[in-house]
Amino acid sequence: MNFVWENIFKKDSDSKDLMHILSENYLFETLSKSELKFVKEMVHVRNYRPGEVVFRQGEIGVGMYLIASGSVDILVEGIPAEKLEKQTVFVTRLGAGDFFGELSLVEENGRRTATAVSSIETKLIGFFKPDLLEIVERNPSTGVKIVTRLSEVLGKRLKETTVKVTELKRELRIQTEKV
Amino acid sequence: MARPTSREQILRRQSFVRLIAFLGVIGFTFLIILQVENMLVSCLLAFVMSYIIGPIVNILERKNVDRVLATTGLFVFLGLGVSVTGYLTFPKVSNSLQSMQSEAPKYIEGVTKLIETIEGKLKPLQSTGIKFSLSDKIKEQLLPATEHFFSNLPGVLKKLFTVLLLAPFFAFFMIKDGRHFSRNLLALVPNNLFELTYNIYHQINDQMGQFIRARLMEAGIVGLVTWLGLLIIKFPFSGPLSVIAAITNLIPYIGPVIGIIPALLLAMINGLSPFDMSMLLLVYFVAQLIDAAFIIPVVVAKIVDLHPVTVIVVIIIGAQAMGVVGMLISIPVASAMKVTIGTIFRYLTDYRV
Repeated sequence: MNFVWENIFKKDSDSKDLMHILSENYLFETLSKSELKFVKEMVHVRNYRPGEVVFRQGEIGVGMYLIASGSVDILVEGIPAEKLEKQTVFVTRLGAGDFFGELSLVEENGRRTATAVSSIETKLIGFFKPDLLEIVERNPSTGVKIVTRLSEVLGKRLKETTVKVTELKRELRIQTEKV
Repeated sequence: MARPTSREQILRRQSFVRLIAFLGVIGFTFLIILQVENMLVSCLLAFVMSYIIGPIVNILERKNVDRVLATTGLFVFLGLGVSVTGYLTFPKVSNSLQSMQSEAPKYIEGVTKLIETIEGKLKPLQSTGIKFSLSDKIKEQLLPATEHFFSNLPGVLKKLFTVLLLAPFFAFFMIKDGRHFSRNLLALVPNNLFELTYNIYHQINDQMGQFIRARLMEAGIVGLVTWLGLLIIKFPFSGPLSVIAAITNLIPYIGPVIGIIPALLLAMINGLSPFDMSMLLLVYFVAQLIDAAFIIPVVVAKIVDLHPVTVIVVIIIGAQAMGVVGMLISIPVASAMKVTIGTIFRYLTDYRV
């Protein structure tokens, strides 16, 4: 009999899971229960097989993804100066609770700067620019809360990038002086 | 049965199956809309209604009114408004139709006389040999056509009644559950095409909404200006004529020309003086001038960027395929196709690493 009960409550439990995942994410953690319920109606749950591409570097990005379960590899394709062939560089592996692609939420026809590939069976929650705009239009206070958090995330990422660029410049200068 | 040999093959097959399912659902829906009686017009009207009422529901939702309550309340309010207006204007409309029916032979006689006069003037120019009486032909065709129109009127009204019942019903659920429907449909899209499809869907949706609202506003202003002008010059049937002018104005370029024809025919039959005739032309000209100088450049042109030649070709194709409905929907359909093709083309070609 157990499987019958599981089937009956599956949708509800899925829905609760989704609410729980959203509530634990940095972008949505300031939202109230009713606001989370509203956001839940906006997002898109997508399932990916191992090795399936979520998006490719260079494609126009529409929004961000939040990892509900599984993991996603972030890869960057580049052409090294000494070689003509494209080289794929593994950047990082993201796990449950992480999110990626958030820059597309604020860019106008921005391109993806990396390729995202699921490494195992992965469930992603897609949150896209039209969804954010609809939230802002229909429920501005919720929209402002999300946009504020999004700005914080983007600001943090920018700071980290600036620190890394500064470090690399310093290293490059040291290397040049040595030569 | 050959088993898939690699992970890529399995993924490709799954994507293909999902794509077929997605296109199948869309195709089946279109088939139902095109095949079931009254469905196409009801759905089109429902779309128009949802694009007008939807933003009002959003405004109410912003004021913390529940979406279902806001949608229901608005439909009840509009339903009551339409019923009361219908109840109050029905006797007037009925009288108008009866007077039109009783006066139809007089107007046909007038048209025939008008054509006879033209024929008389053209006679000296006619070459000998071919004997053809245009007035007799028109009399033969027009009288049965008018009788046919009035005998078919109950059937047309029944169809109209069905559409007027179905369209608000569909529109209500489009506003209330539209997002849920589209999300379920988009869930069928293969992962590799999801972002592209979602992008196209939103671009089309936004453009359609803006286009429909702008065109209806444009038609309303043209209708209002025409009605006021006709009232000022004391021209008969100012109400129906301004409604015709507003509706035909929805068809770009050709519409305004079609819209003025009934007024010109009435004027010729009633034997209007050259001054009154020029005043009538002035009314329609002013309405079109306001449309062309203010409404189109400010509101409409920014939404649909189609070349005039494309517009004419698209209207002709629409008219040949689906008649008047085809003429009305040809431009939004063409602009939706332009958005879709443009986005897919950009996706496939303008790929930067």
